[in-house]
Amino acid sequence: MSDKPSGLVQGTLDMLILKTLALEPLHGYGIALRIEQISKGVFHVNPGSLFPAFRRLERAGWIKPEWKPTENNRRAKYYLLTARGHSKLKSETREWGKQTAAIARILEAS
Amino acid sequence: MWLLRNLADGLRTLFRKKQAEREMDAELRDYLEAAVKEKVRLGMNPEEALRAARVEMGSMEAVKEGIRAAGWESTLEAVWQDLRYAVRMLRKNRGFTAVAVLTLALGIGANTAIFSLIDAVMLRMLPVQRPDELLLSRRYNPRWGGEAEPIFTNALWEQVRDQQDVFSGAFAWGADRLDLAQGGAVHLADTLWVSGGFFNALGLRPAAGRLIAASDDRRGCPAVAVLSYDFWQDRYGDANSAIGTMLLLNDHPFEVIGVAPSGFFGMNVGQKFDVAAPICSTAIIDGKESRLDHRSWWWLSVAGRLKPGISRSQLAARLRILSPGIFTAALPQNWSADGQRNFIKQTLVADSAATGISSLRRQFDQPLQVLMGVVGLVLLIACANIASLMLARAAARHKEIAVRQALGASRLRLIRQLLTECLLLSSGGALLGILFARWGIALLVRFISTARNAVFLDLSFDGRVLGFTAAIAALTAILFGLLPALRSTRVSLTSAMKGSQAIENEHRTRFHSRKWIVASQVALSLVLLVAAGLLLRSFAKLATVDIGFDRNNVLLVGADLKTAKIPPDEQLVTYEQIESRLTALPGVTSVGRSVMTPLSGGTWNNTIHTEWSKAVTGDDALTWFNYVSPGFFDALRMTLLAGREFNTGDTKTSPAVAVVNRTLAHRFFPGLNPIGKTFRIDDVAGKQGPPIEVVGIIKDAKYASLREDIHPTAFFPATQVAEHAEAETFELRTGMPPSALARPVQAAVASVNKEIPLEFHTLVELANDSMVQERLLALLSGFFGALALLLAMVGLYGTLSYLVNRRQTEFGVRMALGAQRGSILRLVMRDVMAVLAGGAVVGVGISLAATRLLQQMLFGLGPRDVVTMIAAVALLSVVALLAGYLPARRATKVDPMVALRYE
Repeated sequence: MSDKPSGLVQGTLDMLILKTLALEPLHGYGIALRIEQISKGVFHVNPGSLFPAFRRLERAGWIKPEWKPTENNRRAKYYLLTARGHSKLKSETREWGKQTAAIARILEAS
Repeated sequence: MWLLRNLADGLRTLFRKKQAEREMDAELRDYLEAAVKEKVRLGMNPEEALRAARVEMGSMEAVKEGIRAAGWESTLEAVWQDLRYAVRMLRKNRGFTAVAVLTLALGIGANTAIFSLIDAVMLRMLPVQRPDELLLSRRYNPRWGGEAEPIFTNALWEQVRDQQDVFSGAFAWGADRLDLAQGGAVHLADTLWVSGGFFNALGLRPAAGRLIAASDDRRGCPAVAVLSYDFWQDRYGDANSAIGTMLLLNDHPFEVIGVAPSGFFGMNVGQKFDVAAPICSTAIIDGKESRLDHRSWWWLSVAGRLKPGISRSQLAARLRILSPGIFTAALPQNWSADGQRNFIKQTLVADSAATGISSLRRQFDQPLQVLMGVVGLVLLIACANIASLMLARAAARHKEIAVRQALGASRLRLIRQLLTECLLLSSGGALLGILFARWGIALLVRFISTARNAVFLDLSFDGRVLGFTAAIAALTAILFGLLPALRSTRVSLTSAMKGSQAIENEHRTRFHSRKWIVASQVALSLVLLVAAGLLLRSFAKLATVDIGFDRNNVLLVGADLKTAKIPPDEQLVTYEQIESRLTALPGVTSVGRSVMTPLSGGTWNNTIHTEWSKAVTGDDALTWFNYVSPGFFDALRMTLLAGREFNTGDTKTSPAVAVVNRTLAHRFFPGLNPIGKTFRIDDVAGKQGPPIEVVGIIKDAKYASLREDIHPTAFFPATQVAEHAEAETFELRTGMPPSALARPVQAAVASVNKEIPLEFHTLVELANDSMVQERLLALLSGFFGALALLLAMVGLYGTLSYLVNRRQTEFGVRMALGAQRGSILRLVMRDVMAVLAGGAVVGVGISLAATRLLQQMLFGLGPRDVVTMIAAVALLSVVALLAGYLPARRATKVDPMVALRYE
């Protein structure tokens, strides 16, 4: 069972989902597509890791599901970022920035 | 907030499963659709797009499983599943379940019972306000060494009360027993003399009326009394009209002013009180010689609540500074100069009184620890039995486990499943065990209660006891469940699928672990048997030890002339009058009387000296005294060795004489004939008493208890008693069961004076009461030893039966090839012998190391008593061989044809 997203640094999927939702509420496939598009195809997220991540984030209170009608008049499950999710994203981003800067410094040091 | 939401979401998923699943389906379907649409948009044809999207998604079920596993409720669900499955499995094997639960209930119940006794006696806080702030005062003298004494005179207490500045509420109390009846057979009420601040300092509120206050406790106070809640209920049916009525205590009226709160039993754990009265009112009971002013009458305990802001070290320092003033002011004037110097050197110390004080602690501390160890061992043996059963069951479930593993169950999951079954078993055992414990502990308390001292304990199970039970239940489950679970989940799938022959090897290793289990059971039960043997033999020795008199058929009648208000100068005549009336009673063979009652635990002693015993000083010179009537030696059937007993010629005015025991004669008159020689008693003030002539030597006899070494003892004529003994005991040797004489005796005494309170006991009763500890230990260790033996043998029997069944084919083949029955029998018994020998060797080793703990509890034999050891090994061997022989004989009955047909 390989449910790790291809080429995705472990633990960053949650952050990417939060970031994606910071712009606007999206449904499951929308999120996957957005991540793939923005990363220019570098990250490809499969449903096997995406959906458990939704459940996890939902339970942590960072995202919230909402049933909305779609274009062809069906109800679909959208996710939107909560206030807790916003602050979480902010702190995660800050932490990420610190870490990548540090890693970059180490790699450039030699 | 989000936690709540998390919880709500989880619960919703659990309880509205269908809807949650529908939503999940819908969401995944949407995803698939959107993916297909996107792919079509990018130029794929619809069919290809669908296939590609499906490949991306993978197994829909796997994705769903992933989602479910992301929430906490999935763990809960798995546990629930395990539980349901466990219940189903246990119900399928009712016999096994019943045996396992019952065995565990016995083990866990025994542990709970002993622990709750330890909790009630040692650990529980007093039911008063903020008990952890309470401190108990003790007197410590560096010169005397030893432990600090927690007992005070009233003079000392008054000084502590008036001089101390470290306690926010200092208080004192002393226990007593006063008679509620007016003459005739006594009806004793446990009385607590309390200082005025007692109830207030403990923060207690009255259940009715009011409690004793500071204003009630001053010299010359009126007699008032507070009832305990239980006493109030029993005697007055909790009627408020009780307040204001008069209660007769030792024939003095006390006005009932209130009722103490329910649940409050006083400060002494193991006792209760019926009535509490202010300390000052002892003067009413005591009359002329009041304990309020008697400076060597030690009868009060003193405690206090530490003032806020004072640390323990500050307290100790302050008490050290206050001590000289307090002890000087309460100095007993009639003591010798040396004694007084030592008295003043004492300091006050204080330690926690949160759990109250208790005489049970010293008496039962060690026995309870031993019993805790014993029941712990029993539980271990029970665990071993069940582990053994579980292994056998694991063999039967071998296929099932293999199939489940083949279908993808992880080993961890299977172990969790198996352990759930174990937890369920041990929980059942614990619940039933608590019932057993409830019943057992009531029995235990009855064991440690004596005729004169009923033990009262709060036996409700508190959180600590229930926590303990839960903890041992969990521990047992792991203990008996883990090994079988690990073993049975270690299956090789291929061999399991191949069938019986390949499994054979695994069974063999499984049998090996069962053999280990049985051997350890043998070892543990041997330890228990040795301990039980030692304690039983020790008890038997104590029960049959030569006590120097004949304890059977002696009725003891305690008569209190003081309470009957008979003036001191008439008391001797009254006692003699009663004695002659009692002698005339039909069924009474002979009558004696004494100031000290034999085996009652009370002592009266002082140092003596003779001109031949200058070297005998200090504790060696301590001699036990009793004042007795001429009939005493005959009534108790004590043997006179030389000289004469007392007679009517020994009067108040005749020369002072004494009958001494052999030990005294040897110690104080070494190598001499003491008859006609004299000794002197050392007065408290250090002065010499008058010479006392020895007129007779009597055989050594026990004085206060059965366990004591024989003390030098001197008997004096009751007519020559120095101070007036206002209560004496009549010893009646009877030709019939002593208790049948209680009524005629009451009538006879009433014919002399109706007011005299009488307390009835038998000498056998007192003798038995002084063996409480030993009897408790012997009975319980005997019971648990037998239980352990039974469990171990069931284990051995079960394991061997299993082995014989497994090897049926082998035996069949052997017999078909010409093996004799005897050789088959030997084959099986060899295993029994191996297990027995291994277990016994280890068991003897452990016993030798462990029984040293019993040293102090044993009487008349050492902890490494060879006879006991051999007897225990022999008993164990006989029973083990029997338990092994039954299945072994079955092995010889194998019909070769039947056995071979299976192959």
